Amino acid sequence: MIFLRRQVPLLITLVTGLVFAVQYYVPHPASEQMLTSVTKWLQIIGGFALVLGVSSLFHVHAMKIRRKEVGWGYSFVLYVSMLGTIAVGLWSNGKEAIDGAMTSFGWIYNFMMVPLQGTMFAILAFFIASAAYRSFRARSREATVLLIAAIIVMMGRVPLGEYLIPLSGDLSQWILNVLNASVRRAILIGVSLGTVALSIKIIFGMERSYLGGGKE
Amino acid sequence: MTFAERMLKIDRRLIFLVIGLCTLLPLLYPVGLPIKISPEVRGVYDYMESLPEGSVFLLSLDFDPASKPELHPQSLSLLRHAFRKNLRVVAMTLWVSGTGMADQVVTQVAREMGKENGKDYVFLGWSPGGTAVIMNMGQDLYGAFPVDYSGKPTKGLPVLQGVTNLRDVNYAISLGAGNPGVEAWYVFGKDKYKFELGGGCTGVMAPGLYPLLRSGQINGLIGGLRGAAEYETLIGQKGKAIAGMDAQSSTHLAIIVLVILCNLFYFSVRRQVKHQGHSGL
Repeated sequence: MIFLRRQVPLLITLVTGLVFAVQYYVPHPASEQMLTSVTKWLQIIGGFALVLGVSSLFHVHAMKIRRKEVGWGYSFVLYVSMLGTIAVGLWSNGKEAIDGAMTSFGWIYNFMMVPLQGTMFAILAFFIASAAYRSFRARSREATVLLIAAIIVMMGRVPLGEYLIPLSGDLSQWILNVLNASVRRAILIGVSLGTVALSIKIIFGMERSYLGGGKE
Repeated sequence: MTFAERMLKIDRRLIFLVIGLCTLLPLLYPVGLPIKISPEVRGVYDYMESLPEGSVFLLSLDFDPASKPELHPQSLSLLRHAFRKNLRVVAMTLWVSGTGMADQVVTQVAREMGKENGKDYVFLGWSPGGTAVIMNMGQDLYGAFPVDYSGKPTKGLPVLQGVTNLRDVNYAISLGAGNPGVEAWYVFGKDKYKFELGGGCTGVMAPGLYPLLRSGQINGLIGGLRGAAEYETLIGQKGKAIAGMDAQSSTHLAIIVLVILCNLFYFSVRRQVKHQGHSGL
């Protein structure tokens, strides 16, 4: 059992990791054909991952409802909404509209999902304003620099700001293009090097946490 | 409790009210301040302008309804521009929850511009796999999307004539609200399949994409509602983005004033505390 649960996945990871790292640099038709096949597998696995995710969600919330845990009412709402949407989606053949006419699935999408998600995102503006008022203070030199940069960018990104302080537009462009881009690039390079190191560790079996825990 | 201390502990509902009014009033009474075009938005526009008629333009609408206020106006403007230029439009999404919305926007603009499905444009819909879809399209577009969103086989569609994979795409733009989005299209798409790539994103995401822009990995970036308003200005078709700029202007200004006020009160309280400390000694 240990062989199947440990050694085989490690071997698959080692072989596929090395093969596809090399594949990127080999433009031979056979190598390209192999990549084509594997990307198709990836898409199929992606589809199954979706099924796995939905079934896991069902399971977690079913347990919450059964045990009457704190907030089980929300789980119940989620359950009803999810089952209702799936049923309506199947009934409408997964289409929001047929020949220009809105289906019941389209109605759920347009009049429930779109406004609900939009509202959730819009609420952010209010909370950001409130949080900025409470916590955006020049407590230190670093915080002061951040505060000034934020004010310049906020001014420079809207027509009113550029109208009141014409220089704010160019200044905000400079902050975004020079200061922001260089710092972001440094972070990206750091993250990328970390990813390469982690990939090497995974390929050679030094990092095994992806295999999961449990008894051997 | 002093006035400054009271102001620092102000009821947050008052701040909500200020922001609500700053959003609502400019929408009811628009001012229409001029919008300056940034080089990053002009990059996308100029490249679209340089494309000859019949070029293949891929638009990936990688967002869900949560980002609709910012990315929907961007997609409307880009599609109007592409159809006006008689480009062959291939639209798709990598976000399952955005499929219906993407279909609506493509159909709406195509109808408005008198374009025919399958001949002038195609909406491929969504396919599972996230970034794997980009790779699969790079290898074989028909393998990734054997049928379009309406169920028609993609092979043989006049709009896809001569297109076998991403290498045959003249220009691709990802309007992304997260992952997979612009970055994924660069890493898994452009880097290997060598097509020109542009990006569009929400305002909060834009600073994170500047390294890609500065290094030429993307040739332009439409950032947030401001970017959409700039694009609307460039194509000369006013829409929701330009209408929303006044509201965004006043909200930004309100937040700046609030931040300055809170700092004034903060320093006033700090000075009082220091003063009391000294007098206590």
